[in-house]
Amino acid sequence: MFGKIIRNIAIAGLLASSVLATPAAAFERTDKGNVIVFGGRQAIPVLDPHIRYDWSTRMMQQAVYDGLVKYEGDPAEIKPWLAEKWETSEDGKTWTFHLVKNAKFHNGDPVNAEAVRYSFERGLKLNKGVAWMLKDFLAPEGISVVDDYTVKFELKGPYTPFLSFLPWWYIVNPAQVKANEVDGDYGQKWLTDNEAGSGPFKLGRWEPNVLYEAEAVADYWKGWPQGEANRPAGVIFKIIREPAAQKAALQRGEVDIVEGLTPDDYVQIARAKGIAIEDHKGMTTFGIKFNTQQGPTADINLRKAIAYAMDYDALIQVYNGAASLETSPIPDAMRGHIDVPGIPRKDLAKAKEYLAKSGYPNGGITLPYVHVAGLEEARRIGLVLLDSLKPLNINVEIKPEQWPNMVALGSKVETSPAMTSVYTTPVSTDPDAVAYQYHKNSWGQYFAMMFYDNPKVTEMVDKARSSSNWDERAKLYADIQTQIVADQPEVFGMLQNRRWARRDYLQGFQFSPVRFTGEVDLYPLWVKAE
Amino acid sequence: MTAAPMNTQIDTPAEASRPLTFRERHASQIRQWRLYAHMFRKSFSSMLGLTLVVLFLLLAAFGPLIVPYPEAASGAINMSAKLQPPSSTYWFGTDEMGADIFSRVIIGARTSLWIGVVITGLAAIVGITLGIIAGYRGGWVRAVIMRFTELFLAVPGLALALAIVAALGPGITNCVLALAIVWWPGYVRLVEAKTLSIKEELFIESARSIGAKTPWILWHHILPNCMSPIIVKMSMDMGMAILSAASLGFIGLGAQPPSPEWGSMISVARTYMPDWWWYSLFPGAAIFLTVLGFNLLGDGLRDILDPRSRDR
Amino acid sequence: MLTFAFRKLLTLVGTMIGIAALTFFITNVAPGDPARLVAGPNATEDMVATIRTEYGLDKSLPEQFIVYMGDLVRGDLGTSIVTTRPVLEEVMRYAPATLELVFVAMFLGIVIGVPLGMLSAVYKDGPLDQVTRIFSISGVAIPAFWFGILLQLLFSVDLEWLPVSGRLPLVTRPPEFVTGLLLVDSLIAGNFSTFWTSLQHIILPAIVLSFPCLASILRVNRAEMIEVLQSDYIVAARAHGISSFRIVALYALKNAMLPTLAMIGLRFGWMLGSTVLVETVFDWPGIGLYAVSSALSSDFKPVVGVTLMIGFFFIVANTLVDLAYAWIDPRLRKA
Repeated sequence: MFGKIIRNIAIAGLLASSVLATPAAAFERTDKGNVIVFGGRQAIPVLDPHIRYDWSTRMMQQAVYDGLVKYEGDPAEIKPWLAEKWETSEDGKTWTFHLVKNAKFHNGDPVNAEAVRYSFERGLKLNKGVAWMLKDFLAPEGISVVDDYTVKFELKGPYTPFLSFLPWWYIVNPAQVKANEVDGDYGQKWLTDNEAGSGPFKLGRWEPNVLYEAEAVADYWKGWPQGEANRPAGVIFKIIREPAAQKAALQRGEVDIVEGLTPDDYVQIARAKGIAIEDHKGMTTFGIKFNTQQGPTADINLRKAIAYAMDYDALIQVYNGAASLETSPIPDAMRGHIDVPGIPRKDLAKAKEYLAKSGYPNGGITLPYVHVAGLEEARRIGLVLLDSLKPLNINVEIKPEQWPNMVALGSKVETSPAMTSVYTTPVSTDPDAVAYQYHKNSWGQYFAMMFYDNPKVTEMVDKARSSSNWDERAKLYADIQTQIVADQPEVFGMLQNRRWARRDYLQGFQFSPVRFTGEVDLYPLWVKAE
Repeated sequence: MTAAPMNTQIDTPAEASRPLTFRERHASQIRQWRLYAHMFRKSFSSMLGLTLVVLFLLLAAFGPLIVPYPEAASGAINMSAKLQPPSSTYWFGTDEMGADIFSRVIIGARTSLWIGVVITGLAAIVGITLGIIAGYRGGWVRAVIMRFTELFLAVPGLALALAIVAALGPGITNCVLALAIVWWPGYVRLVEAKTLSIKEELFIESARSIGAKTPWILWHHILPNCMSPIIVKMSMDMGMAILSAASLGFIGLGAQPPSPEWGSMISVARTYMPDWWWYSLFPGAAIFLTVLGFNLLGDGLRDILDPRSRDR
Repeated sequence: MLTFAFRKLLTLVGTMIGIAALTFFITNVAPGDPARLVAGPNATEDMVATIRTEYGLDKSLPEQFIVYMGDLVRGDLGTSIVTTRPVLEEVMRYAPATLELVFVAMFLGIVIGVPLGMLSAVYKDGPLDQVTRIFSISGVAIPAFWFGILLQLLFSVDLEWLPVSGRLPLVTRPPEFVTGLLLVDSLIAGNFSTFWTSLQHIILPAIVLSFPCLASILRVNRAEMIEVLQSDYIVAARAHGISSFRIVALYALKNAMLPTLAMIGLRFGWMLGSTVLVETVFDWPGIGLYAVSSALSSDFKPVVGVTLMIGFFFIVANTLVDLAYAWIDPRLRKA
């Protein structure tokens, strides 16, 4: 072996002298076709669709799995997918889905009603990841197979947002999962870095923390929107943690699309040749949540004073203009959104007026502002807040916390900080997804750190989620939004735009606001050859 | 042997009627220090180190008074002037919030000085105390202290500090605390070895025989004789402590904004590479020059105070 | 000699247990709740509880520690709550990248440090010695993360000679796994272009990592050389008219090498610990990066695991150095 190594070193030396840093190719061309390369910051530790669902994980899950339905487009709409049609009973409690007959798992097994039943049962019984979406309304026993291609869900009560969660419940192949079960773990160990899906891609190279490859399925049962000739041979999701490295890789053409540049990078790279920016209005809201139960911020006048002192223009400047101010707790892209009149904007006179009415008429207090360590924009907003509150003689202590610590602090009234910066992306397009955050049942969750308690709002939210009449619901949601703004449980911030920078030959990019920040639907992408 | 023990009194002949002047009483020490000063001045690297350290101390003392935009260190923002390249208005350019980087770097010297002094001070106090006790008492006390010390020495400092800060949460106080926790064992080992060798010396024996109490011996005989290597080590450690704190800051566990700390500045600045290069260049240069200064100074001091231990 | 070795081994085991206890308790005072992190946003209280039970986080700290130590005896470093994989398996996957980096850095440190140390000993107190001194102290003083960024800026962004980060370009498939060291594996596979690209990737991080180690190798080598050059037999050799070059290169260097080797052994463990920063800057998928990303998500089993591994190598290196000394100089066996 050593002889071989030494000989090879000698040859390598010769080769080395002739080659020096070959210029990188654009998208990768393999003998099977083009492979699109996506540069992202976040790894995919666990692929199992019923265990985790952060943005990078879900992007890959969506690539290898199918759901009964799928979100597409802007505004997001629910499209039939594995289910070609469905009906609801009068009382809104029974949902029946009819499956397409040609869908196949990657190993050739048909996607049938039993697979659907098993997948939902698995999700509910594991009680992790997506389980919270349905567990209060659906028991595993409530799912039944009517025939090979018909499946029925009987809910515990009427639950209008039911359908809006289904796109995130992916269907796994029971045969494969059961074959790889260890000690009755529902195949959790195996599905961590394997898949048992029917999606447009199957797994290729899987190098945790380095890169994850999805290979296109040639005869995907639903076909390819870009046409068989144009479809890529696969997609590589490459982990690039530093924005600077992402930018360099995109400019050199080592990757075709990146997600994590700084606001200033986007402005700058937009001018580069061959690069296009995807810039879309998202659904992720930013709020500075007050602890409304304890400490100085339990005083509504102080909360109002802070809200009126905030420099809202600077929030937009932090994103270099790629953001828009919230006009309601419910994002614009969501049904039922209204522009709440009189939502605070910077007005120092009013701020001082409210401060005078508060328990701290002369300020002189220091309030903590907690943000997730490493979240650059949240840190910068903290600096804006600090600057904004100086005229009120209120000092701000900016405290970065690790995400788990911040969540732990926010789970109890006693420890919840006076001000916490929170980004929230609703998981569905139904207004309930946001309104329920202000329901008392949400206490303990990170997005409910304000411990907001208004019995009137709670009652309206309960009423709206069980009603199937949209007009009635719309009216309720309008009232809910107005009331929340009046109570000022948080400084309503902005909706940041979702941005990606891509090479201009990358085609088929489809934005949908219901996807998480960074998440892209890989299915319709393709490369247009020069 | 190291420099002559500093506590030895000089026998002067008769003339008891006239009290000795300070110069006369300390003639030998003065001669000794003159020699040190001469050796020190002769070495270019030592003088460079001294210059850097003095400059650093001056900036730490007067920085906020001399910088053009002192409010830049307390969180004043000016979004219209963000990410400006170096110019006559902003010598080192501006950062992503429009704050003057020159002002922040200069005022950051005070933060760094504080970090260095607290870490080194805490570590030295704990380490020297334990070291002297271990070396002087011996027996099982020594065994326990030294086992414990070796345990800490066996874990790479930065890795352990990282774990501690991650557990306690980011912030400069936690950083300093974590680094002090991993820093003291070095002093124990140094002082213990020194104490062991000194306590066998004749003058300790004689002090004990005339009835000197243990604390008195420790304070008047052992400690002064350990001082040279301790001073050398502390000078070196000032630099290394500042560097380590900056490293934790770089990982994102350092000072809270808007406090100007060099490592944290680079941590943010890194995302603005390469187009806004000045942002990370200047804080990094400040760290480098400061640490270099303390290390060169320590190295120079070692050459004259403790020549035998050099390079060990 | 055997009893000496045995005593050393016993100390090693004791220290390992100590490190395990130390890091375990230090990391677990955290207020953070990793279970809540992996349960995901929106998870209900009972979902978080499910995960807590699964990972034994619902037990009291001493109980958790006993379980942990029990597993440790069986060679199990616990399970990462974020990746759901055994820590040992993950450490093994990331260790080759770190080892490769450390080996190359060590190589650079020796190749540059030893000759420089030799030269500055020969020309002691001359201008070369002064320059070397400032150079070597700079090596310790320069912030590794900042130096790395500067090198990236110069060689990767500006000159475009070398890649910015990573181990391999993504187009390149890693060679068949033999040692996990890409430079070695690619040669075994006879794949020169892979060898060449992985060399291009490793060179900058290795330079950054080698700097502090280079400095200490240089200084030890210099000091020992000075001592040896002043010793009687060298003076005698000179008197016999043996050429200066031969004296320095052969006789003196050979005698000065042992302390230098000892320093290299000590530095090896130290470098494993300090790869944390370099790996962060260069996106190098090794155990340092693994430890940092785990620490940042309050996933403490990997942090304890990595600290243990590094501590282990550190102690083993120290023990080997001690044994080597004792073997050469029997007087030390009593210590």
